[in-house]
Amino acid sequence: MNSFVSLVRVQNSDLGQSISKALDLASFKFPSSVKSVVIKPNLCYYWDAATGYTTDPRVVAAIIDCVREEYGKDVAIKVAEADASAMRTKYAFKVLGYEKMAQDKKVELFNLSEGELEEKTARVNNHQLQFKVNPLLLNADLFISVPKPKLMKIVKITCAMKNIFGCIGTPRKVIYHKHLNEAVVGINKILRPHLTIVDGLTALGRFPVKLNLLMAGTSTFSVDWVVSQMMGYNPSKVQFLKLSVAENIENPRNVVTRGENVAEFARIIPKEKFISTGFLWYLQFKMLGAYQKITGDIIPPVFQE
Amino acid sequence: MVNVGVIGLGRMGMLHLMSCLNIDGVKVVAASDPSTKALKKARKLGVNVLYEDYRDLLSKNSEVDAVVISLPNFLHLESVRLALEAGLHVFIEKPLAKNVEECREIVRLVEKTGKKLTVGNVLRFEEGIIKMKETLNSGSIGSLEVVTLEEIINGPFSHPRNPAPVADWWFDPEKSGGGVLLDLGCHLIDLFRFFVGEECEVDFSSLEYFFNLPVEDGAIVMLRSSNSVRGIINVGWYQKTVYPQFDFNIMLHGNSGYLSINDFRPKNLYTYAVKEGTKNILRKLTKRKIRPLSYTYHYEGFYKELVSFFDCIRNDSAPAVSAIEGMKTIELIEQAYEYGNSKKRLASLV
Repeated sequence: MNSFVSLVRVQNSDLGQSISKALDLASFKFPSSVKSVVIKPNLCYYWDAATGYTTDPRVVAAIIDCVREEYGKDVAIKVAEADASAMRTKYAFKVLGYEKMAQDKKVELFNLSEGELEEKTARVNNHQLQFKVNPLLLNADLFISVPKPKLMKIVKITCAMKNIFGCIGTPRKVIYHKHLNEAVVGINKILRPHLTIVDGLTALGRFPVKLNLLMAGTSTFSVDWVVSQMMGYNPSKVQFLKLSVAENIENPRNVVTRGENVAEFARIIPKEKFISTGFLWYLQFKMLGAYQKITGDIIPPVFQE
Repeated sequence: MVNVGVIGLGRMGMLHLMSCLNIDGVKVVAASDPSTKALKKARKLGVNVLYEDYRDLLSKNSEVDAVVISLPNFLHLESVRLALEAGLHVFIEKPLAKNVEECREIVRLVEKTGKKLTVGNVLRFEEGIIKMKETLNSGSIGSLEVVTLEEIINGPFSHPRNPAPVADWWFDPEKSGGGVLLDLGCHLIDLFRFFVGEECEVDFSSLEYFFNLPVEDGAIVMLRSSNSVRGIINVGWYQKTVYPQFDFNIMLHGNSGYLSINDFRPKNLYTYAVKEGTKNILRKLTKRKIRPLSYTYHYEGFYKELVSFFDCIRNDSAPAVSAIEGMKTIELIEQAYEYGNSKKRLASLV
């Protein structure tokens, strides 16, 4: 069965119309009798959407309008994010303009790290992984993920599947970084959003770049397969996508793109050479450690692990 | 030998502790922090007497001659008061205190006890700034007319190698005393006063709230000295840059020429680090004393300001940044807050 991923260029800043078009192209049908909707943006840190790090609240606001158009104004909508190792959701909502957006749109902001969390397990690549998940996500009638396309040193690209990793209730998600690819696949086995709408207004390559793009799809895997091509990586070489195929999450042969041409966006994304960057970082800290051993000099705490 | 107690072992306190351990004629006899992890690290570094509560360090340890305090702003007055009353010399991380009223109390206590107190205005110890001041004093740019000082960084939003969430007190005006104007403004206003060497007042101020927080995260302040040198201060917490990227600029405009901090700083910090690191390795191999933190360029000032503090205790000389100096900076910051807030009030009335 085909898994459609749509790419729509935002015209005249009309986000609502572009979202509707993206959903149509992705063949998304809103489920019937929906009472609770959860929208999960990507607020990994306090950097404004213009930096390419976080989901633009204007995109979330447009999705809220779209959902209300479908289900009426009484549908309960929550915009949810979890605390991260260095990020506190209460500040991220404030700093990134979500508090104001929630007031304007009369929706609730929700911290996925608060309240009783459910223990879930998943087995990936012979690793047994445990996750704490907020029941809100498990019980939502409609779960919409709104990730950002970004390059990331550890897993090459982060977008739809990694945004689900951000749903884990445990704040210190850095504990999963040793087996991050497995953890990304594992949590995607547990949490499957009904819809993914990628905020590609600004993407984060080696530096931020304006794309004015929205993408939509019902499978996080399929969205990431296309995003990977856009960010300059062969998706079959991205470890967590490879693992997903091995774990039968999705078949890449089913992925079908519709709308704009991926290659057009791929051309303008500033690519990162992670092998050299990663190696230079590694080398830099190794040298610093060796230098300290020889001289006994001070390493400022900010550079220490 | 100066016996020192280090109070507060956060990022800055830990750096001060490590610096103290590398200064000749200084012995770290105790340290305090509520975090068990921080205390464990201090023990690993060789500090054996550790306290969770700094008040215990000040009341129970009779060995200590001086303390280095790096606590949140709302604890500055209380900790300094207890230290001075215990007869100890004090190094206090900037700002001296969170408002002028608290600063006045500290100045009174310093005068009463006769102990040394210095404020950690580290930029005065940066090599480039010292050279800039020397060049200015040599008369090569004529008479100073305008100084522009800018520092835009990520402040409390910095993301260290070992990620940790920002402490809540930063955004509570009652506890912090203010936002970026107090945090970075106290460096740049101190530097303006350092270059100008005269009494100053605030001409204009604008406070920005890009992040919708209860404290300002951007500020532009215009100052004027009694000899009519004008200063433009631009500070912000809104930039996502990490070291060695550093959006920090100083320009001195004279009537005969100008100076830029960029002319006095290393062009490439990586090359500089390799060069300085190699020099230290050679010093070590030839059994000479290394220059701690010189390879980082910016962090060397933290070591030097402590050396200066301990020298002023040993030599009974004036501290580099006295309590009165620290208070004068806070007076200007308070003026800037008054101006900025009254402008906001006016705007809301219109």
